[in-house]
Amino acid sequence: MIYLSMTLSKILKYLFLAVVNSLIVYVVPLALTFESWFFLSLILLIGFLINFVYFTDRFQPMKWILPGMIFMLSFVVFPAVYNTYVSFTNWSTGHILTKTQAIGILEDRVFTADDQKGLEFELYILQDIDLNFYYVANLDSENILFGRAVTDDEIFTSAYATHEPSFFTNDEFSTPDGYYQLSGKEQIANSTILQELSLIIDKNTRAQLYKISVFGASTGRLTSTSQLYSYDEVSDTLFNNSTNTVCPVVIDNFECEGKEIEPGWRVYVGGDNYSKLFSNQRIRGPLGVVSKWTFQFALLSVMFSFAVGLLLSMILNKDGLKFQKIYRAVFILPYAIPAFVSALVWKGLLNPDYGVINSWLGPLYEILDVEPIKWLKTKESARSAILLVNTWLGFPYMFLITTGALQSIPKELIEAAKVDGATGIQSFWRITFPLLMVSISPLLIGSFAFNFNNFTLIFLLSGGGPPIIGSEVSVGWTDILISFTYKLAISGGRGNLFGLASSVTIIIFALVLLISAISFRYTKRLERIYGNI
Amino acid sequence: MKANKLRFIVFLLMFSLVAVACGGDTAEEAVDSPDTTEAPKETLAAPATTAPQPEVIVVWAEEKVANALNPLVAAYEAAAGVDVEVVVYDFGAIRTDVQTAGPAGEGPDVFLGAHDWVGELAANGVVSPLDLGSVASDIFDVGVTAFSYGGEVYGFPYATEAIAMYYNADLVDSVPTTWEDVKAACDAAGTELCVGAPGGGGGGDAYHNHPFVASAGGYVFASEGGFDASDVGLDNAGALASAEYLDGLVKNGTVASTDYGGSMTAFQEGRSLFWMTGPWARGDASAVNYGVGLIPQFDGNAATPFVGVRGAMVSSFSDKQVLAQSFILDFFATVEVQQAMYESDPRLPATKSLFAIVEAADPVAAVFAASAANGIPMPNIPEMGSVWGPFGDALLIIRDQNYGTNEETGVTVSNASEAMKLAAEQIRNAIAGG
Repeated sequence: MIYLSMTLSKILKYLFLAVVNSLIVYVVPLALTFESWFFLSLILLIGFLINFVYFTDRFQPMKWILPGMIFMLSFVVFPAVYNTYVSFTNWSTGHILTKTQAIGILEDRVFTADDQKGLEFELYILQDIDLNFYYVANLDSENILFGRAVTDDEIFTSAYATHEPSFFTNDEFSTPDGYYQLSGKEQIANSTILQELSLIIDKNTRAQLYKISVFGASTGRLTSTSQLYSYDEVSDTLFNNSTNTVCPVVIDNFECEGKEIEPGWRVYVGGDNYSKLFSNQRIRGPLGVVSKWTFQFALLSVMFSFAVGLLLSMILNKDGLKFQKIYRAVFILPYAIPAFVSALVWKGLLNPDYGVINSWLGPLYEILDVEPIKWLKTKESARSAILLVNTWLGFPYMFLITTGALQSIPKELIEAAKVDGATGIQSFWRITFPLLMVSISPLLIGSFAFNFNNFTLIFLLSGGGPPIIGSEVSVGWTDILISFTYKLAISGGRGNLFGLASSVTIIIFALVLLISAISFRYTKRLERIYGNI
Repeated sequence: MKANKLRFIVFLLMFSLVAVACGGDTAEEAVDSPDTTEAPKETLAAPATTAPQPEVIVVWAEEKVANALNPLVAAYEAAAGVDVEVVVYDFGAIRTDVQTAGPAGEGPDVFLGAHDWVGELAANGVVSPLDLGSVASDIFDVGVTAFSYGGEVYGFPYATEAIAMYYNADLVDSVPTTWEDVKAACDAAGTELCVGAPGGGGGGDAYHNHPFVASAGGYVFASEGGFDASDVGLDNAGALASAEYLDGLVKNGTVASTDYGGSMTAFQEGRSLFWMTGPWARGDASAVNYGVGLIPQFDGNAATPFVGVRGAMVSSFSDKQVLAQSFILDFFATVEVQQAMYESDPRLPATKSLFAIVEAADPVAAVFAASAANGIPMPNIPEMGSVWGPFGDALLIIRDQNYGTNEETGVTVSNASEAMKLAAEQIRNAIAGG
């Protein structure tokens, strides 16, 4: 019994490989069906790597590194690369399909001649002894058309329907001999077959089942025997059989007589999205205001929350303070509430008409004899509200990290400064603060980068508003780059412009990268100066 | 030797797993095919009923509608021999998920959604046209227009929603038909504010202010068998005249500078005589003894509020097109089902037959429905995204009398016409540059 000598780890390993491989084999046909070659090659590559590394006993280190690498590739590198790829395409509403899919949808379309539009008639469905289906279309008393219902392949070889007035006696349909009439229920049971069948009336017209009625007679509609569009691969054009026009490809759509035919498809557009951002005045104009505020917002948010957090941690860092732990717990509380909940709560509190803040400030307004502040409705009030809320949201984090950092600063340094005759303020600014910055500044940079893209807060609290009246595109005073992108590409304009949105995110990424690089350099210098104390 | 055997076992296991995974599909195919061939050839009796598995219609609906629909489908299931699977779905997610689940073969056959999705869904090719046939004559025009896109109709409308005018029944008997009489009624009642309408007081709101601009010839997009994004009518003669008229109403104190919250509290506290908003606010309005009337006319034209319409649509990725169409037209559209749905989840009727029933049962709802029938559906084309901002901003300038030069942008707006022209220009720019 050789199997008994197999260790548990081996069994697990082969089980794992079996599951992975079966998953891959399952996914491959799916990828083939959807023609996503990129995904397919990725899967095959990963599958190959896994099998290659784990089935052999070579590459011992790779066995440890590979899972991490795969996760990094699929969750970090792949989205980033894909985002970059999308930014070079026209991916947007009306252009979400591949060209093959779009042509498939267009070729499925049928049409109805103008004079036959909206015509609805009773349709009876019969079956003969060989289980072939026959339709009786009761267009009017002159056109009670009967014939075999055929599939699309037989349209042009099938005989035309014949006028059979004898089927009706006193406007009542009576089933002809040799046929069985399907009830509504039976029609429904066969509906997937019936929907492919047509009764050929003449060269151009056919009748199809449209509505099965279980309570009365089913009804049909007339459509053309030819499809609305046929695609010609050689010339790469679409032919409109209804108007007899040739529709050439114009970039990412077929165009019939100057009108775009929907749906279009995705194409590579090069740097178009980027040049649109910089050359288009209506985007470039607000971009200036928005960029300025984005920097202000991110910088001030970090500064305020850091200042509040540091102040609190300094106060609570006093030795021998009673209930120190309880205080700390209370101050960390805002950090425990999800930001989106806090933002919505604050929005309610700030409501100028019935919010708590204005009703509390009410007496103050009266004493000072001023109009109540219209929170979030004017530029200044909206911006201060945003900063206020973000400080509230951000200080617990700063409190947390500064508390930790403060405790790691050796007490001897402060005492030495005291011996040398430094005042409390002097020893704070010259010893505590610089030492704090060594360990804290990378976290501040991280916080800055986070706030730079703090979409949740802006979107939920002010929605970017109040609007900048007179700007060429819908944009508000509190919009930051990422919320402006959302307005530009997703909620405004013509549907969802994923390509354009991606290009803005790439630019934001470049900005954040640049700022972080500069800041880290500066931090390194700090470390060189103070790190050796 | 040992290693080879092991590898073989592993591959065997792998392929058996694959076989199990594929097995599900083949079983379903086997179920589908015998529908027509099962029947014994020698008899003509009921050849089709022997099909072993009923067809399944998958319907996606939001929770309230699904709960209303669920008890009703049993009747259709029994009569038609199908399984109707009503799936409770988050309303907003239906819009996005039909576009992803449909192409992947996981989507619904029928889904219930809002009319303003139609443009996006049709442009992306995920919704099928629905020829309403004889049902169309029973539907208010506004509902059919709402679901029209590019010359085709894409859904059966079952509910509408539009604003009308609440009045404080302790102070006035009804809503006058002209704005002059509204002013006179307010003067007589002596309330602090006259008409509270959202869209002022710093909160721009194009939705509530649409009748002020579009009742006498103005329009957002021209509409004929679908909305035309290249024809923006917010600065045509009718729209400019209406905007100037609104400017006059603001100046003489008829229309107060209130946002939604402000107009609501004013009405609840009896400080305003009228409140322009929709049927969702009936609970809030009940703080006072209220009635509802149509919005006063503009220059003899009925006020045209923006109308939101809900409807049933067929996914183009459904492989049961005829069945889905039949479910909607033969069952869902019948007045019995519509009435049962109304009783379980009251929304304004979109069909004339249901309107007649509702009018008797709930006159206030009928007023809202009548207001909707006069209205214009919110354009269903994707370009509408570029309208809300500029349109609301322009009306905010007028409502708040916020004329002047913006120091940051250098743009001067000195009267109502200029505000509308600016909005129209912004919209055209956005559409052209999008």
